[in-house]
Amino acid sequence: MFMTTFIDGLSLGSIYALIALGYTMVYGIAKMLNFAHGDIIMVGAYAILTTLNLGGHPVLAAIAAIIICTAMGVITEKVAYKPLRGASPLAVLITAIGVSYLLQSVAQLIFGSKSQTVTIGNYGTVNLGSAQVSVATLLTLLIGAIIMISLQLFVKKTRLGRAMLAVSEDRGAAQLMGVNVNMIITTTFAIGSALAAFASLFYLMQIPSVSPTLGAMPGIKAFTAAVIGGIGSIPGAMLGGMLLGVVEKISLSIPVLAPYTTAVEFALLIVILLVRPIGLLGKKRREKV
Amino acid sequence: MKKQIYIFRKVMIQMRNFKRILALMLVAVLCLSCFAACSKSGNTDGTTAAGDTTAAGEDKPAASGDNYAAKNTEYFIGATGPLTGDAAQYGISVQNGAALAVEEINAAGGLNGKNFKFDIKDDKAAAADAATGYDTLYEAGMQASLGSVTSGSADSFAGKAVEDNVFVMTPSASAANVIADRANAFRVCFGDPDQGVLAAEELSGKYEKIGAIYDTSDPYSSGIFEAFEAKMKELGKDFTTQTFDAENKKDFSTQVEALKDCDVIFVPIYYTEAGLIAKAASAKGCDALIFGCDGLDGVKDQLDASVKNKVSYITPFDVESKDEKVSAFVKAYTDKYGAAPDQFAADGYDAVYVIFEAMKKAGVDNVAISASELCDILVKTITAEDFSFTGVTGAMTWDASGAPTKEPTIVELNK
Amino acid sequence: MGYFKNVKKNFKFKDLTNYIIVGIILLLSLILKATGNLPRSSMTLLTQIAFSIILAVSLNLVVGFLGELSLGHAGFMCVGAYIGCLSANYLGKVIDSQLLVLIIAMAIGGVVAAFFGFIIGLPALRLKGDYLAIVTLAFGEIVRNIFKNMKTFGGALGLRTTTYKGSLFIVAFIMVFVTLFLIQNIIKSKHGRAITAIRDNEIAAKAMGINVTYYKLFVFILAAFFAGIAGVIYGHYASPVIYSFFSYNYSIEILVMVVLGGMGNLTGSIVAATLITVLNFQLQTRLSGDLAAIKFLVYAIILIVFIIFNNAPKLQPLRERLSITRILHERKEKRNPASIKNDQAKWDKIPTKIKMDEVLSVDVTPESPYTPDKPDKPVKKGGK
Repeated sequence: MFMTTFIDGLSLGSIYALIALGYTMVYGIAKMLNFAHGDIIMVGAYAILTTLNLGGHPVLAAIAAIIICTAMGVITEKVAYKPLRGASPLAVLITAIGVSYLLQSVAQLIFGSKSQTVTIGNYGTVNLGSAQVSVATLLTLLIGAIIMISLQLFVKKTRLGRAMLAVSEDRGAAQLMGVNVNMIITTTFAIGSALAAFASLFYLMQIPSVSPTLGAMPGIKAFTAAVIGGIGSIPGAMLGGMLLGVVEKISLSIPVLAPYTTAVEFALLIVILLVRPIGLLGKKRREKV
Repeated sequence: MKKQIYIFRKVMIQMRNFKRILALMLVAVLCLSCFAACSKSGNTDGTTAAGDTTAAGEDKPAASGDNYAAKNTEYFIGATGPLTGDAAQYGISVQNGAALAVEEINAAGGLNGKNFKFDIKDDKAAAADAATGYDTLYEAGMQASLGSVTSGSADSFAGKAVEDNVFVMTPSASAANVIADRANAFRVCFGDPDQGVLAAEELSGKYEKIGAIYDTSDPYSSGIFEAFEAKMKELGKDFTTQTFDAENKKDFSTQVEALKDCDVIFVPIYYTEAGLIAKAASAKGCDALIFGCDGLDGVKDQLDASVKNKVSYITPFDVESKDEKVSAFVKAYTDKYGAAPDQFAADGYDAVYVIFEAMKKAGVDNVAISASELCDILVKTITAEDFSFTGVTGAMTWDASGAPTKEPTIVELNK
Repeated sequence: MGYFKNVKKNFKFKDLTNYIIVGIILLLSLILKATGNLPRSSMTLLTQIAFSIILAVSLNLVVGFLGELSLGHAGFMCVGAYIGCLSANYLGKVIDSQLLVLIIAMAIGGVVAAFFGFIIGLPALRLKGDYLAIVTLAFGEIVRNIFKNMKTFGGALGLRTTTYKGSLFIVAFIMVFVTLFLIQNIIKSKHGRAITAIRDNEIAAKAMGINVTYYKLFVFILAAFFAGIAGVIYGHYASPVIYSFFSYNYSIEILVMVVLGGMGNLTGSIVAATLITVLNFQLQTRLSGDLAAIKFLVYAIILIVFIIFNNAPKLQPLRERLSITRILHERKEKRNPASIKNDQAKWDKIPTKIKMDEVLSVDVTPESPYTPDKPDKPVKKGGK
């Protein structure tokens, strides 16, 4: 029984982790809380739904989602965030919220408010010891791990990745060293949004229902996960997502705690931050006067 | 006092032009008038609040004395409901149903040649927005209302409506407190407690292991569940409970896992989540019957081929019914909106027709009738023994409590 | 009451601007009401404006003056609304005057919310920036989740309250005056200077002997107190009080008012709170039925355009050309061209920042006479 709850938690956590990866990328490099990230997932979900409804193959749907999400991420960055480069971070935060409202209402206008069901094939289950695990869960975990490792490699080993690191460390110095900061930030948004497309695919595999408000709650949960793991840290996002998913499921499985699940999750966040103010795997920064 | 004089002198020094003197005078006047008004309102409250609770303070007489509907050229039915946000699908269904009914009535010549008008304001399922929506509608000349779609908003709406004596016939707000102690408030749907009791009676006899999943953040769901729980206790039957809330209503694997061995899972919730529960149950290999209440109506769209579980629910409305009235409604609705109606749409449709029929029966022929006057007429007509209404959600009669008496049917899917 | 001494010394006519703006709103509405032209929906709108101003001004104290991002202001409001209205329900049975009940309820709601402000102020001592923001957001969500599950407060059905029968907006506007008076005077006092010093540089402030712990807690408690009062006012016009209203979305809406109005600018907060409340009200009441779906679209577009116009560095010249204050001040400046010498704000506007792109576009080649040390190899662009 506990084992099943744990695995259910991992499977939910893997979705949070995928979303949190995108969050943490964007935050780490562009230094902005992208509240619209959850809604990019919603856009991806509708892209998948539409492709499947038109008779497309799930793989085609995934590709469509990646293209549309990336395009959406780049467009919002160019239109809404780029003019604000250099302005107060709060202004960017509010714009991100504006973008989030905008995407939600456009989705409602196009697709209606009713939640629609979507089926991306049935992959069955496998037995792991006493517990049954769905293949979708294993796939999510696997892809999540692959994405995490390749992101880590990308950031550490490639030129572009190192440029990203440089921008995240010190934007001014990076610019002086010849790094095109604008291009790097746009690329970050493109990568973050492509990750959101992956997240929407795996989200739909486990929770097969699409509505305009789909992204809001997972967005906030993933944000929480990214902070728990240490915002800006790629393995941290993965760890935070898993932890949050497992805690949520354990809390839900205890009848007394179940109605307080949201409180339990956020309390976990507060406790972790009080013990480690930079999150589990975050990097400490020294402060200068 | 010295301090004030000091400040005043400083101000005088700084004031060099006429504009500033004007501004200061404005402030002075404002302070005076504000305090005067404040003490006045304090007095009136002191004297009136002691007595009658419905006789309000100072702004009441002006408001209730006016007949905002005096310039109406059509009968105006108003409502609020969630048209954006998470619950938008339910509000939009009611809106569509009601608008269809108004269209049909007008196409058939209206009431003695006078047309009807329907307007619904968005309340995002929030009580405060429903109150704002009510005020605006009332001032725009609303004569009768459908209250609000969700229970919390409807409570707020009806609470304001009772002060102005505006008729409320809520299509779908089923919580008991919406119509309790309010002479002007009626509803079309079943009440929450009734459904809970009905479900307990239905399930306890037929099944051995019973499980239940309900939404702790939703008045509708917790209302039904509380009645269900009480009735089950009374019947001496045990059952297992799982919960979820508005922040965790997407992934139901834990809840289904806990109730895997049950013969039946009682889900007093709305169809979106019920569809997800059914899918989670099928994925987990749980073959329990999913049993719900009228909120489940519309669940058919939410199921796909992967769902093996039987789903059944108590409802006054069945889309696939062979009844002539129902099939005509379903056809008209599908033609107009491109999707089959759910129970919310049917309730909205019926609510408008109840008001229309009652007005017809009472022989209302003044299009500028005030809301309060119309309310008295409607309440009298609807609670009269000889008034009964047969709509798409069945045959109904009302008593003074505001709850309808009607026969539920049980619909089964995936038989 | 030490800070009143400073008030005397530093008094400027400008300080009355806020009172005048709020006063004009109230005065106009009172005139309309006296002549019987004020519809009830406008009274509701005025109440909404009043508690929005209280919320925005108090949040500005945290975000604009202390410099800490808080996304949990609705949580304090939630505490105030639930606790204050519950006590009002009980008090209403004992005390006849509704005004008195409201005042006592506001005090209770405010004090309990202030206590929660103290609790959330504690992590604020340890956390910074976005980390603190998410903790405050978490706090708001925890609070409403707990209220939702408590049967005393009506559970999912919400807490039924006794709506105020008189003109709530008058009481609410008097509370706006009280809030403004207190917050404005605190900001002008030495306490206010200490708070802004912490915002500008915490370590430096600490080094100057400012008690950072004390002031951070002080600001959080004060802001929570006023948010609690706003909650009680809210609960007296909307019944039932339901937990879902106080979600982080509402906290963000208050934040939008503060950011649009300008951080650390109380007049801006007042104007922005008024405008946003009116905008929301108009969108809600005008766009009914099928049009309701475009409500958020309109709101979002207005929001994005406004924020970009107000904050984009590239639009600075355009903003200056259209600035109202500039137009008003221009005449005065012509009279006194030496004024720039003494005006710190003017000096700040003169660009002193080095433009990166211009620096980078200078070609640095080995042959260039300006290169101090000739490197052995030609510099590779972007190399390690």
